[in-house]
Amino acid sequence: MQKFPFLFILISVIIAQTEPVEDIHTNDPRVWALTHAMIHTEPGDSIKDATLVVRDGKIEKVGRYIKVPLDAYELDMEGAHIYAGFIDGWLEVKKDEKTKSPDDHWNEKIRADYRAKDDLKIKKKDLKALHSIGITAAHVVPEKGIFKGKSDLVVLNDEMISVAKDVTELIEFKTTGWSDNGYPNSLLGVIAVIRQTLLDADWYQRSLELIKKYPEENEPLPLNPSLMELADFKSNRRPFLFMTKEEHAALRSLKISEEFNLRPWLLGSGYEYRRLDKIKEHNPFIIFPLEFPNKPKVGDPYIALQFSNEQLKHWDMAPDNIKRVFDAGIRFGLTSGTLKNKLDFRKNLQKIIDRGISQDVTLAALTTYPAEAMGLDQVLGKIQPGFMANLVVTDGNYFDPRSRVTSIWLAGKEKYITERHKTVLAGKWDIEIQNNTYELELTVPSIYKKDKNRNQIALANNQLEGKVSIGDEFLNLMDLKIYGNRIEFKVKGTLLDIDATLAFKGEIKKDKIIGTIYDGSKDYAFKAKRTVVVERIARDKEMMSESKLFLPEGAYGLDKELLTPNAVLIDNATIWTCGPKGIVEEWDILFVNGKIDKVAPDISVPMGSALVIDGTDKYVTPGLIDCHSHSAASSINEGAQAVTAEVRIRDVLFADDVNIYRQLGGGLTTANVLHGSANPIGGQNAVIKLRWGSEPEDLLFKNAPQGIKFALGENVKQANWQGNGRYPQTRMGVEQVIRDAFRAAQDYRHRHKTYDRNSKAQKKTVPPRIDLELEALAEILEGKRLLHCHSYRQDEIWMLTRIAEDFGFKIATFQHVLEGYKVAERLAEHGAGASTFSDWWQYKYEVIDAIPYNGTLMAKNNVLVSFNSDDAELARRMNTEAMKAVKYGGLSEEEALHFVTINPAKQLKIDKWVGSLEEGKDADFVIWDGAPLSIYSKVLETWIDGTRYWSVDENVQLEERDKLEREELIQKILSHRSSSSGKAMRPNSATPRHFHNCELNDLELMGLEDFE
Amino acid sequence: MRYIPLLLFTSILFPNDQIPGTEQKRPILLRGGTLHTVSGDVLEEYDLLFAEGRIITIDEQIQPSPETDIYEIYGKHVVPGFVAGYTRIGLTEISAVKQTNDHSEIGDINPNVRANVAYNPDSDLIPVTRSNGVLVVNSAPSSGRVPGQSSVMKLDGWTWEDATLKHPAALNINWPYMYIDYEKNRKKNDKAQRDEYDHQVREIDQLVRNVRAYHHRKSAKERKAEHKQETDLRLESMIPFVIYKDPIHVKANDIRQIEAAVKWADEQDLNIVIVGGRDSWINPKILVENNVPVILLGVQVTPRRRFEPIHIPYKLPALLHEAGVHFCISLDPGYPMDGHVRTLPDEAMRAVSWGLSKDHALRSITLSAAEILGVDDKIGSLEPGKDATFFIAESEPLTQTTNPIKAFIQGRELDLSDRQKDLWEKYKEKYRRLGRLNE
Repeated sequence: MQKFPFLFILISVIIAQTEPVEDIHTNDPRVWALTHAMIHTEPGDSIKDATLVVRDGKIEKVGRYIKVPLDAYELDMEGAHIYAGFIDGWLEVKKDEKTKSPDDHWNEKIRADYRAKDDLKIKKKDLKALHSIGITAAHVVPEKGIFKGKSDLVVLNDEMISVAKDVTELIEFKTTGWSDNGYPNSLLGVIAVIRQTLLDADWYQRSLELIKKYPEENEPLPLNPSLMELADFKSNRRPFLFMTKEEHAALRSLKISEEFNLRPWLLGSGYEYRRLDKIKEHNPFIIFPLEFPNKPKVGDPYIALQFSNEQLKHWDMAPDNIKRVFDAGIRFGLTSGTLKNKLDFRKNLQKIIDRGISQDVTLAALTTYPAEAMGLDQVLGKIQPGFMANLVVTDGNYFDPRSRVTSIWLAGKEKYITERHKTVLAGKWDIEIQNNTYELELTVPSIYKKDKNRNQIALANNQLEGKVSIGDEFLNLMDLKIYGNRIEFKVKGTLLDIDATLAFKGEIKKDKIIGTIYDGSKDYAFKAKRTVVVERIARDKEMMSESKLFLPEGAYGLDKELLTPNAVLIDNATIWTCGPKGIVEEWDILFVNGKIDKVAPDISVPMGSALVIDGTDKYVTPGLIDCHSHSAASSINEGAQAVTAEVRIRDVLFADDVNIYRQLGGGLTTANVLHGSANPIGGQNAVIKLRWGSEPEDLLFKNAPQGIKFALGENVKQANWQGNGRYPQTRMGVEQVIRDAFRAAQDYRHRHKTYDRNSKAQKKTVPPRIDLELEALAEILEGKRLLHCHSYRQDEIWMLTRIAEDFGFKIATFQHVLEGYKVAERLAEHGAGASTFSDWWQYKYEVIDAIPYNGTLMAKNNVLVSFNSDDAELARRMNTEAMKAVKYGGLSEEEALHFVTINPAKQLKIDKWVGSLEEGKDADFVIWDGAPLSIYSKVLETWIDGTRYWSVDENVQLEERDKLEREELIQKILSHRSSSSGKAMRPNSATPRHFHNCELNDLELMGLEDFE
Repeated sequence: MRYIPLLLFTSILFPNDQIPGTEQKRPILLRGGTLHTVSGDVLEEYDLLFAEGRIITIDEQIQPSPETDIYEIYGKHVVPGFVAGYTRIGLTEISAVKQTNDHSEIGDINPNVRANVAYNPDSDLIPVTRSNGVLVVNSAPSSGRVPGQSSVMKLDGWTWEDATLKHPAALNINWPYMYIDYEKNRKKNDKAQRDEYDHQVREIDQLVRNVRAYHHRKSAKERKAEHKQETDLRLESMIPFVIYKDPIHVKANDIRQIEAAVKWADEQDLNIVIVGGRDSWINPKILVENNVPVILLGVQVTPRRRFEPIHIPYKLPALLHEAGVHFCISLDPGYPMDGHVRTLPDEAMRAVSWGLSKDHALRSITLSAAEILGVDDKIGSLEPGKDATFFIAESEPLTQTTNPIKAFIQGRELDLSDRQKDLWEKYKEKYRRLGRLNE
């Protein structure tokens, strides 16, 4: 259990004792007995005709047969329902004015010590809106930054008293984008900063302890309140609340929590249903904004094209999300925080109840769940002796939208919302005026008639229109106004034999109205008596969505297990092994348990023990490998600093990228997903297998060695755009940045090693800090991390090999390396691989000498060469890219295929498992209907680890399934009647371009394709 | 008669900058080649005689006159020069270097600017492009609402005037953006975005009306001296397109843009060609019914929307062909594609792989392109009377490894070397000297 600093102890005493009196003393009587009410003591438990005694802000007694204390004033609450006050899970403090201090963390996005409540100001109007839906306390959270600061649980009374402080520490994956020069400006960087800061917090805490104990042995550390707070939160197991905007953010949050042993909370996105299996493993507490998307505008077929299938489905699915999350065993709270119109809160509660969440659970989400999660389960959330007297009083079941919140109690003090008794006026009345009787009919305005829910609300709130009938004729009521128990309207026409406009004014008492009529000169009295009461019509109940979920959600997502036979035998095929066996015709190949078992002229297996594929006229190759990709990642470049070795592509893998699926359709099975080329030392790459339909982390090629991306030339010196003036701006500077980084890494390792060897120092002196950036760089020097370097010109290629040799390691690959052909002997001598484009040139000055013979010429000089894509489209036709090595320079087709199979495998040091069809390697293969490098051949099937991830037939089925689903969803949306007031849905059918990403930045990557 | 030995075919004439071809002085007979006429059948072991830059005769056996040079090309293929329908060749050297770019004039309305006057005949892109058989390109200006006039250029010549095959090829218009964009224009609601679009179209309409009025006033017979219409280069430059209905190339990829442009042309009674056309598979009928051709920009591209069939761009040419749309295939210029025009045959081959016949694919980068650009009287097929603009290759034209071994533009033999081959040779020499290479 976490420890919260409680602030709530006999409020009355504290307030009475500390505050000076301004005028004369005020001492409200603070003992009340609420009697004859329906009291919902806690979810699932209620007492009819019960009494509740409130004393000094707390609940003293509750029950059926309670004697009203002598000093208590009795309030008869006949007909009322009383609930424990509701807790809003998220009240953001806007415009916080955190004062700058020299003690602040160096990165202004880290402000963990900031307490949001310090700047809490709520406009009266907003406060009233919260009160009117029964919110009595709110979780007050900060707005800005990555480590945003701390939250309080605050009672929304005049004093805004905190029941608990430091409830959570808030984290947001806040990316400001490329234009921001401040680090970090990408999701990659944000996650790295979070990880580094959490490490720093531990280190700082440990260091402070040592300094305190051994002041003589240590240099004092500067004060860092942010790190102190974080350490405090961590060691006390207080929750870290991550803001999430989509399900991947949830996964990332939970991964960080797991790594640093944090207690995770999430601000839900509403998309959790898409990756619930993974989320539930970590069982976070989730606060859900109670808001659902508006109907997508699909009325125009061409605007409909702008909506992706997963968006259309999300409209249908969003209100089911909470139910699904709850069923997965996750507890949650709710917030009205994102709603502009707070009245939608109750409407949306109705929605989730319709979709299957019980009223008890909903009540719990407003009371006991958040109270428990915040460690306030003995203070808030229930109506029990000793609990704080926060109450919601309604005139009916709160979860019936027709009932009204009439008052709330905040720490024992009542706040009026609306009158307790309200007559539903709709219906027919007989009006008696001077012995004439007319019929008055009050109805819900016709504009609400279509929407039954809206209709009910109008009915309950007396939002009406009406008419008076005289015989067969009728006169419409004008300016009908109903306030509390008063009614006013005007009638123009002949009534009372006067042809004039008459103003009616009356007072309502149950089924009677008594009042006066004024015609400008005279008053008349009138009486009205109800004759017909309008029956409440049944509401349209929403149903749970019947849509099937896919993984990943959206077009081509999987809806069933992939084909994974124990064994696969391809019979009588032409096999391009890319291994020592070369090309063999009319051979067999057997795959067992995800591995290649045998490649031989004739393999026989017992009947039924293997899936047998007739390979006649078919070709089999290893799965293709792309040594330079930017697909399947949500963020590519952290460009705010010249050295960002700490950022990792693995943190931002994006398994929903449809390019994974498309590339499988081109026979690609493995990709090296690289950081961009914005800086000399970029981030850590991730080698993945294209396991479509898996969780992001399961994309990782587990055995692949770790790596990192460096970059040289125009991009890193910001030559082709208005850069931020960052060092370096020349190739000379680039070289120095890299040397400097490696020297720093050496110093860093030395520092750690010295400390680790000195047991005496370990006891008394501050340990060296773990630095994720230098750690990664040191790993390069130790040969544990492969270096892949974006490069174009021969000088820079030469230069980097020399640096590597000076520091005693080897460059794994030069990427692009378009002038590699000029220094092939250097590449060969150094032993670096070259991963190049087939025939790209011309786009920038440093590629002026690019030639399509580059690959061939390097290969002929014994350089290990691969062709890469750097482009989502090229990546699905790597085979025809390879053919360009035949066209330009005359390599054999067999050798050319190596450029996209075994050679990149060797470059990535994964050739032990993939890259060729040899016994013992992974069952990653492609079946083609023709010669593998021919543009006229097509992929029939693509397999990874013995699982079939793509096939022509399946592809057709998925296409048809998605087309049908899309039509059904659009039909459902078109036929859906109720008006919605949620968040407008922004169409996003366009897929990101991933087009020569090295040259692009994060913003462009996330943006839409150019739809000019 | 002079028999030219085949040996000369592969030799590189000049080791440095490529020198334009010399005017054809003697008739040349290509004997026994496989002729891909495009307009007709593939003729095997046929002779082709050309003189003074034109194809004279195609026949099974041609008796040459004594002054004829004869190339025996049995087993080799003669193919009309590929035609790229929409490029920036000559207008850019290095896309990222502003100083080398001449395709985007400032301002929105530039109907008067002419591509060919800025065409740099010494651009390194030219020899590289023609090395793959692309011998004619349409060079087009690109930015703003009315970027200017494009020109059909022969990839050979000392000056831009030499190189111009047709000018103007077309007036270019970039159709206004119709995507309701909730990201970039988040502050504008749907209606504001549509209003903005309507406003942009109204501006185009007004421009057209002003051209009509300008022309009307200029050509009115009786007028006083003081009533003389003073010059407006913009309006004047549009007269051929608005009054005489020369083709207007409208860049439009989104289906809404395509439909809107077609309807606009119909209402305004103008001749348009859709450039881009990536959504044209959604409603090809409108193109057929209105007789609007399409210059497709790119076959080997990713689908525009996640839920589209993943190979839809590959199948697009076949779909258009089946629907009866007149189209040609080109590439989408712009960073980093400006120098990629040489991959034009790859785009056509990909279309074959996904349903288009080889004949139609070849046509889509030769005769169809020539027709759409209005130069089919001169190029695009092997027919007597047309320019001798073709290349000779060892293998079929739509083969991935095909490299032209000889090429002619209007009978002038081209130097098929280029900067890239030169560098290749240079560095092969380096490795020979280092003893690392012996070829």
